[in-house]
Amino acid sequence: MKFLRTRIERLGSGVLETGRAAVELWMVYVGTVAGLFRRGKNRPRGELARQMHAIGNKSLVFIIVTLGFIGMVMTYEACMQLSRITGDYSQVGSQFLRLIISDFGPTLAGLMLATRVGAGIAAEIGSMKVTEQIDALRMSGVLPIDYLIVPRFIASLVMTLMLSVIGATVMYTAGGLTAQYSFGVNPNLYFDISQIRPRHVILMVIKALSYGAAIPVVAGFCGLRARGSSEGVGWATTAAVIGGSFAVIILDFLISAAALFLTGGDL
Amino acid sequence: MTARAFVEWKDVTKAFGGKPVLKGMSLAVNKGEVMFIIGTSGVGKSVTIKHLIGLLRIDGGEIWFDGQRVDTLPERKLAPLRKRIGMVFQSSTLFDSMTLAENVALPLRKHQKLSWSASLDEARKRLEQVYMGEYSERYPAELSDGMRKRAAIARTLALGPEVVLFDEPTTGLDPVSARRVDRLIRELAEKLGVTAIVVSHDPPSIFGVADRVAFLYKGVVHVVATPAELKASEDPVVQQFIGGKSSGPMETPGF
Amino acid sequence: MIGGKFIEGVGASTLRVAQEVGGIVVLTGQVLRALFPPRIDRRELFKNLYKMGNRSVPIVVLTAFFAGGLMTLQAGPFVKKLGATSLAGWGAGYAVLREIGPILIGLMFSGRVGANNTAELATMTVTEQLDGLRSLAIDPIRFLVVPRVIAMIVMLVALTILGDFVALVGSSVVAKAMLDIDFSTMYYSFVDNLTPADFLHGIYKSIAFGAAIAFSSCYFGVTVRGGAVGVGKAVNAAVVAAAVSIMLLDFFLTYLSSH
Repeated sequence: MKFLRTRIERLGSGVLETGRAAVELWMVYVGTVAGLFRRGKNRPRGELARQMHAIGNKSLVFIIVTLGFIGMVMTYEACMQLSRITGDYSQVGSQFLRLIISDFGPTLAGLMLATRVGAGIAAEIGSMKVTEQIDALRMSGVLPIDYLIVPRFIASLVMTLMLSVIGATVMYTAGGLTAQYSFGVNPNLYFDISQIRPRHVILMVIKALSYGAAIPVVAGFCGLRARGSSEGVGWATTAAVIGGSFAVIILDFLISAAALFLTGGDL
Repeated sequence: MTARAFVEWKDVTKAFGGKPVLKGMSLAVNKGEVMFIIGTSGVGKSVTIKHLIGLLRIDGGEIWFDGQRVDTLPERKLAPLRKRIGMVFQSSTLFDSMTLAENVALPLRKHQKLSWSASLDEARKRLEQVYMGEYSERYPAELSDGMRKRAAIARTLALGPEVVLFDEPTTGLDPVSARRVDRLIRELAEKLGVTAIVVSHDPPSIFGVADRVAFLYKGVVHVVATPAELKASEDPVVQQFIGGKSSGPMETPGF
Repeated sequence: MIGGKFIEGVGASTLRVAQEVGGIVVLTGQVLRALFPPRIDRRELFKNLYKMGNRSVPIVVLTAFFAGGLMTLQAGPFVKKLGATSLAGWGAGYAVLREIGPILIGLMFSGRVGANNTAELATMTVTEQLDGLRSLAIDPIRFLVVPRVIAMIVMLVALTILGDFVALVGSSVVAKAMLDIDFSTMYYSFVDNLTPADFLHGIYKSIAFGAAIAFSSCYFGVTVRGGAVGVGKAVNAAVVAAAVSIMLLDFFLTYLSSH
């Protein structure tokens, strides 16, 4: 009985805590969007460019390597399956491109960025929080969200989209090379964009922008919640990685389901 | 030197990132004495004692312990040495994820092949000896610095070391806790015959506990003396340090 | 001028990556040597198994469910176009068991358990707790790293088995809800088209991913420098290294297994 009660109590406080965190996360998001329109006069100059460099340029190699390899694996697996059944590779390239553009490109780039960029943002903001630099910002009349999250938000929106495009291109090209060298698929047959409709490209842009918005907000929220010292920063960074990745997967699911629903299954 | 000292640093040098910290430092400590190593921050006091148990490696010179050269031992062969020489760190370094009793039980379980429950019973006894018995089931994060320090001393003593190194044992403690730690160090030497090497810059500890004091200055041992001799010393640098004066002949880099 | 700077930058990062890869290899060697004789601290091992499993089961189950659903969503258009509902389970199941399951679960495991492990070890390192262990004549590799590495590999394999199952359930649920395909159709589609080899292929991968996550997370934990800021950076580096190694290993394992 007592055991049950403590269980229920713990569950209750867990739900409360989750609810409170959700409200806080929402507030960070609203504050960030509001900050976009406040015209950051107390934002440091060149901050946006610096963040774009940190989020975009510094993730470039990471994105190319990871998406390149997964592109190779996916084509390889698809061709293997086809060779077992029909041996007809004529559709591989065009269908793979459709899948990359409408899903794998932006989503895998988003997952990788949630890891690299999310962890970076949370580590940076978390360290500032535990060394009381955030309080120092508040004392000098600067909103921490304006100063810290808004530039990262804008930079992440732009860079996630660009890296999704780059990542998708690398993925597709790496897949093409694998198909040619391992299965003798003719490149002219593989690089076939006839299956692509505008709605696929729109879907890619929507997904990339959603992930680009979610990653810095989740990471910034985790960073601002950091408490204590080094354990606090470690906790914030961990939470940002897992929160960001999970946000990407959920958003992907919701957007994909909505797209399938809206097009009546003929995506 | 005829009778070989128990612990001896011979002409030790050490640099960090090209910046020399120890420049031919030599010191001999006899069995059973309480030796204090004093000096300003950053002069290499902690570095000196960490060399003895191989946590840091010296660049040049020799370190001897009980007739054995120890600075050349590889990490694998340091274990027997570390059972004979214990160290109490400045930050206590108790393991956060364990209670005090589990902390003290760890070396017992690992080295004396005690069972889990036997090691915990023994650990509680050891905590009693440092007046921490009632806190044995608490976690380090819940306790004050002074309490953690005493538990850390109990953990270090668990293996029955012949030499105990203390890294600034009273820094950051309130005066009452600090004097309790001082008393523990003195008891160790007198009751158990343990050799204590204490890094400190806390004058009440230095003059209350030490048998001899080594004053580290500019990377070498400037003077070794009893506390009384040190007080009576006419060396202007020593006078400035123990008097805590801001101006004087002392060169303190960075200030 | 700019070209020179660029080349310099590339050279510097190549050196750094080489140094870190070297460090991870050295740590791997130390761990393997500590396994002979195999005196593993059982208490640490079980504590870590429990903690890691406890922490990651909810997130892995959720991720796997959605990942399975996503695969059905992606297979949906083909199925509609060809009218071949019996192929939905084949496409989704094959992708889940061989690729998406192990990769996504590995990535989530790295974010949850690997990152947490790095943070914990890094905090212990910056607060000198590792030196504390060494001063007690306890080898930190043997006492801290070995049980964690074993626990992570075992846990990831267990979670991949669980996740595979949940993902297949997820893809069936989504197939019913979005594409109106019966559970029994999905079930037979799985059973007829998937082989134990597909499942085992994913499990082999999860062993390799578990090892990669474990070694990189422990390496960046014990080599951390510089307080709270350093801990954040270490966690960041560990998850990035784990993600890259998962992708590289995935490619090589897929390639090797078919030759």
